[in-house]
Amino acid sequence: MSSMIYKKKSPLVLFLLPAFAFLIAYLYYPFLQNICNTFLNIGGLGRAAQGLNSPWYENYSRMLTDPDLRTALKNTVLLTVCTVVFQVGIALILALLVDSIRVGSKVFRTVYFFPIVISATALGLMFNLMFLYKGGMVNQLLLKLGLLATETKAGGKLVVQWLDWKDSSHFLFTMFMPVVWQYVGFYFVILITGLNNIPGELFEAAALDGASGLKKIRYVTLPLLRNVLCTCLVLAITGALKVFDLPWVMFGAGMPQNQGWLTGTYMYDQTFNKMNVDYGSTIAVLIVVLGVVLSNVANRVFQPAEDY
Amino acid sequence: MKKITALLLVLTMCLGFVVCAHADSVTLNVVTSYGGDDGNRKNFENAVAAYEESTGNKVNDGSATSNEEWKARVLTDFETGSEPDVLFFFTNADSEPIINAGKVVSIEEIRSVYPDYAENMKDSMMAVAADGKHYAVPSAGFWENMFVNKAVLDACGIAVPGPDYTWDQFLADCQTIKDNGYTPIACSLFEVPHYWFEFAVMNNGSLATQLEVPTIGEDGKLVDDAVAQKWIAALNDIKALYEAGYFPENTLTATDAETVALFGEGEAAFLIDGSWKCGYFSENHADTLEDYVVCCVPGKGDRPATDAIGGISMGYFISTKAWNDPAKQAAAVAFVSMLTSDETLSTFVTTEVTALKNGASPSGLNAIQESAAACNANITGVVGAVQDTITAEAKGQLFSSIQKVVTGQMTPAEAIETAMKLN
Repeated sequence: MSSMIYKKKSPLVLFLLPAFAFLIAYLYYPFLQNICNTFLNIGGLGRAAQGLNSPWYENYSRMLTDPDLRTALKNTVLLTVCTVVFQVGIALILALLVDSIRVGSKVFRTVYFFPIVISATALGLMFNLMFLYKGGMVNQLLLKLGLLATETKAGGKLVVQWLDWKDSSHFLFTMFMPVVWQYVGFYFVILITGLNNIPGELFEAAALDGASGLKKIRYVTLPLLRNVLCTCLVLAITGALKVFDLPWVMFGAGMPQNQGWLTGTYMYDQTFNKMNVDYGSTIAVLIVVLGVVLSNVANRVFQPAEDY
Repeated sequence: MKKITALLLVLTMCLGFVVCAHADSVTLNVVTSYGGDDGNRKNFENAVAAYEESTGNKVNDGSATSNEEWKARVLTDFETGSEPDVLFFFTNADSEPIINAGKVVSIEEIRSVYPDYAENMKDSMMAVAADGKHYAVPSAGFWENMFVNKAVLDACGIAVPGPDYTWDQFLADCQTIKDNGYTPIACSLFEVPHYWFEFAVMNNGSLATQLEVPTIGEDGKLVDDAVAQKWIAALNDIKALYEAGYFPENTLTATDAETVALFGEGEAAFLIDGSWKCGYFSENHADTLEDYVVCCVPGKGDRPATDAIGGISMGYFISTKAWNDPAKQAAAVAFVSMLTSDETLSTFVTTEVTALKNGASPSGLNAIQESAAACNANITGVVGAVQDTITAEAKGQLFSSIQKVVTGQMTPAEAIETAMKLN
């Protein structure tokens, strides 16, 4: 059936115009202005540009040699991989498990979705307390289990070799784990909705053909879930590229020692703390380009099937 | 029925908005540094409550803890038109951008309409901007010195430092403290290396030369003069303390709140901080207040231990936006006048200097305040902080580089050069 069921199209256009105008004004215009800003010399938000940079492509050449940006890109790519593998992966497993139970599925949906509704700042503060150097829940637990070295000093004082969860050896885990954990529920809900849309008759037919358990998942569920999975992957990739709130609350500006930058946090620091607005704009453009490229790659690799 | 209910609800809401819009009371947006765990947070809240009660106005308090991020946020708010009506902020180079942009109104202009404005203050003690005018009504002054946890020293068999405490004695004490399993210095090099930097600079120079800053030559390189060498030596001193293990083990990943808590809980011995910390310890560690003593930062070279950092560095600004709003103008003036009255300031002040003509009348000093007063009685010289004379961008860059300096990723000269290029 054709989607153009209305003879008069002008009412449709009228209803579409306000949202279109809003997007032009508050999304596309700022985006294009941002691209222009990458060539200008702007020393603070709200300040007028002091002419073009010298040379005009200075910010782009700086991007190629900036070690902190390289670190941010490396960490962001790692986070993207972790997001795809763990966030979407765990969400898929949970969705498959919850879909196969009848009693209590609504409870599980609520429980797994709950972290999404909590502010990322609040979560960051919570995880900060958990990973606190002295007195944090994790370190206290490790001490109780006897997994931390202790030493009695000359004066009789017991000194514990606390684990610094934010040092160079551990910061990646401490940064990625809360970010991945927070949005598992989001993809879980999307995937379980996708699973619910698969006709039950297909599973019955598969059962009649002798398919059960993993075979059903492999030959029926996953192929029919491909479109939804592709959507989840694109969302996960673009989300990882611009994640900011939770890592910023937990790690601040590049902790530890400029090794902890992500593209989102580095862009924020350059723009708001270093007042280097044009360079921050350049990083923003880079994030957009990376998002478009990676999501296109994901679309091609997991090509949504058109015949389902 | 549902439609009628919904319509009634919408009408009620609209009526509510109209009523609110026509209310007589004014809502002032106020931003101060009396946020978080600031020692004067309670005093500020009490003063705001008293203002609201006496005027009927409302205060939207956007206060936060003062750090480089907060300063950047304040300046950004001004640049984007989201500035508060009243701002309690630094009166040094940090406020130059908002003064130069005409975003705050001068006291002279305010006095042309309100002649009694800030009449209880000595004009000579108000900060003078580059245009020769005053913009901020000063609040309590500050001093920076060294807090010592006496309980930790006692456990290590070390005497409380006196006014002739030397750097070599300090290093020896740090080693003893470390050998006994305590942390010698409570400092987050990640977040607030500011105070140790300031005194390290003075230790490699003198009070008289404290406010000199390194410069960048025409070749774009750091000018290698006595000032630059002084700053390089200061960063090397901090690096030496780090390499000796006198800072907390997680000094590069801990926040200032964590390291101060280390000191407060009797795990660290020495903490350089400011007068505002007396209020913090009074409120958060009242049970162990007797353990904290204020004494002199160890001296080196031409600096005696009794030379300190201090002055009046913050004050209340009224934004031009509020000044030009007839509804908010009087409210803002009344707010600043109340918060800087003799009576209110006396609750904020214990041992700090003020610009009050009649002086402050603090009521009853507790143990830590008495210790601070006793230490201040020995002070031979006070000068402002040199970091307050450089731009926010340069300062942010310098302090964020200290982590790289102490870990050897950057030389002190490179750190200073990178920072001063932004000055």
